[in-house]
Amino acid sequence: MTHGRHLRLEWAQHDGRGCLKIGGWTEAELRELSGLDAGALSRRLAVYPSEALPKGGDRSVSLPMAGRFLVQDGSVWFAPRFPFADRVSYSLLVGSAGDADGAEVWEIRRPSPDAVSTTEVVAIYPTAAELPVNLLRVYVHFSAPMSEGWAARAIRVSREDTGQALEDVFLPPEPELWDAQRMRLTMLLDPGRIKRGLMPNLEFGYPLMEGTTVRIAIDPAFRDASGQPLRAGAGRSYSIGPALRSRIDPTAWRLTVPNAGSRTPLLVEFDRPLDHGLLQHCLLVRDAAGQALSGVAEIGEGECSWRFMPDAPWQTGEHHLLVEPRLEDVAGNSPARVFDRDVTKAQDAPGEREAVMIGFSCDRA
Amino acid sequence: MVDLGTATSLENLGLSVGMPAVKSVGPLAFGPEGLLFVADNVGASIFAIDVGDTGDGEPKAVDIDNFDASLASYLGCSREDVTIRDIVAHPTSGNVYCSVMRGSGDDAIAVIVRVSGDGAIADVSLEDVAFSQYDITDAADADDPRLVTRMQLRTVTVTDMSYVDGLLLVAGTSNEEFTSTLRRIPFPFNGEARSNSLEIFHVSHGVYETAAPIRAFVPYQDNTSILASYTCTPVVQFTLADFDTEKHVMGKTVAELGSHNHPIDLISYQHDGGEYLLVCNDRHPLFKIACKDIDVQGPLTVPDDSLDASPADPVTPGVGVPRQLLPHPGVKRMANLNGDGVLMLQQDEDGHSHLRTYATATL
Repeated sequence: MTHGRHLRLEWAQHDGRGCLKIGGWTEAELRELSGLDAGALSRRLAVYPSEALPKGGDRSVSLPMAGRFLVQDGSVWFAPRFPFADRVSYSLLVGSAGDADGAEVWEIRRPSPDAVSTTEVVAIYPTAAELPVNLLRVYVHFSAPMSEGWAARAIRVSREDTGQALEDVFLPPEPELWDAQRMRLTMLLDPGRIKRGLMPNLEFGYPLMEGTTVRIAIDPAFRDASGQPLRAGAGRSYSIGPALRSRIDPTAWRLTVPNAGSRTPLLVEFDRPLDHGLLQHCLLVRDAAGQALSGVAEIGEGECSWRFMPDAPWQTGEHHLLVEPRLEDVAGNSPARVFDRDVTKAQDAPGEREAVMIGFSCDRA
Repeated sequence: MVDLGTATSLENLGLSVGMPAVKSVGPLAFGPEGLLFVADNVGASIFAIDVGDTGDGEPKAVDIDNFDASLASYLGCSREDVTIRDIVAHPTSGNVYCSVMRGSGDDAIAVIVRVSGDGAIADVSLEDVAFSQYDITDAADADDPRLVTRMQLRTVTVTDMSYVDGLLLVAGTSNEEFTSTLRRIPFPFNGEARSNSLEIFHVSHGVYETAAPIRAFVPYQDNTSILASYTCTPVVQFTLADFDTEKHVMGKTVAELGSHNHPIDLISYQHDGGEYLLVCNDRHPLFKIACKDIDVQGPLTVPDDSLDASPADPVTPGVGVPRQLLPHPGVKRMANLNGDGVLMLQQDEDGHSHLRTYATATL
């Protein structure tokens, strides 16, 4: 290879793919390279992410980037098997494999895409002002699809009075729990610390402390799916109350029943905050014939109530609110079972895993 | 490898040739005929893929320093952009398969990487391969009644898989309810998304009964038992025969893993006529359990703090199944290399990942 001439590296499209175009070869070099097959070319040339470039050009110690070289139109092209990544520097190593002494290195950097932050946190659930100390789950809703790999780094809990960071509150999010659109993240508080009798609970107690106010904060460094940070951080504060350790009892709920002939919503008020995610599909209204009513449901402030407005006016007569047994409160208790049942307590004995039906009757005004 | 020359083989296994639409790669498991099961949690699918491994060759020890850096270079990205999700060894050839994500968000690329016995690294082409697909979403929602209002937010994230006698056992975590189900998906996938899921509980110290998601598990004793680790700390034994007859299965808590500790992976291996299990954790050392000790271990009835009392030294705890702590630091994933060796993906203090093979006799 001829030293002293200047190779020109540029990003270019070839056959519709993003490639590295390498120009500036001498005519003699081009003639020689043109005569080489793909295998011989890849022994002569190699592309590396610059951080992986073998020291001294010794190709035996580091695997080059997958892809293939071809010579065309006075240039050498490198078509990578996996696309080049933004903001990464790449190095072209020129020289025969095994001949580290004669190797030359040319470098080029992928540009940073021009982009502005547009994604934000749209909600953090629960929204209740006071939560039980054995809170199990937090949902963070974003305005756009997000990247994985940031949950452990970008979600923090601290005491609001002292500012002290609370460590190991959440279960390590591996794998992270996202909805299909990657717009809602579920964070679980470490169940080992919530469950009674387990060592983490005995030694360290609950992740949160009763009687304190804590703040859950989302750092703006959290990246969206396009790799951009959030427009701003977000947070929500909660005062921490006593543990909630009993089955959900739907018979304790208060129903405000609408008049027949109206489309006034049915209002259901709970005795405790329920899980926002499960509330969206664990309640159902049926008419006297057992037919599910279509309509619009809304979750009330603090996840302590639920309203259902039917598409058609309420009919006179019996209806049922159906409560699925997998509905949970914010501490993981369901109508069927307490989160961690004390087997010595009769009142904690598991209930039927059947849907609970609550009857109500719509009358004419 | 499935014999592509015989249409019957493909049909019998429910496979067709094409390009599986794999959006992400997570847990891996080998199934019959050298098919690789790949969990795709973004695409909410499990794929059975013919990775074209003839199964020939002798398993060899695989040792690659800075494996993550090699992958980053091969994949053309920075080391931070490489996430190794799982490793598994082909049952006869010993070739190692890794599920790897390159990048994240819109730019994320799912790659299955093959590491041959000679240390060569190459990605497995997913073009024109024989495969079949199972939809996890359908399975999760199969028992749901018709609902009035529903946002498509509920997902099940697969955390571990094993193939046992015609069934793919799948542990998953819901992003909503905190339950413990183990799906048993018949293979070949029959297109009906049929699976029966079991609720499985464990009792802590004889007092508290909990249904928690299983994080990782391993079949052992000729697939008659499984040892499972929960998202909380206990290690729990189940008898597989119970799964056929019970809807709710109660497991026996045989050990706790220690404070602030979470299980990552479990494998089984045979040595000198005995069967052993290895459990790797995010904070505590790797430990080894003799399967025969699990059989005689009664359920834990008092909290077990033996690991925390002396986490650095091998101990035989006073309570819980006897276990031996092993001096292999930073173990993130493990694979049984055909009986003679155990492959470990180990992360050092600087965050670099290495593949190391240890002869079972040395463990």
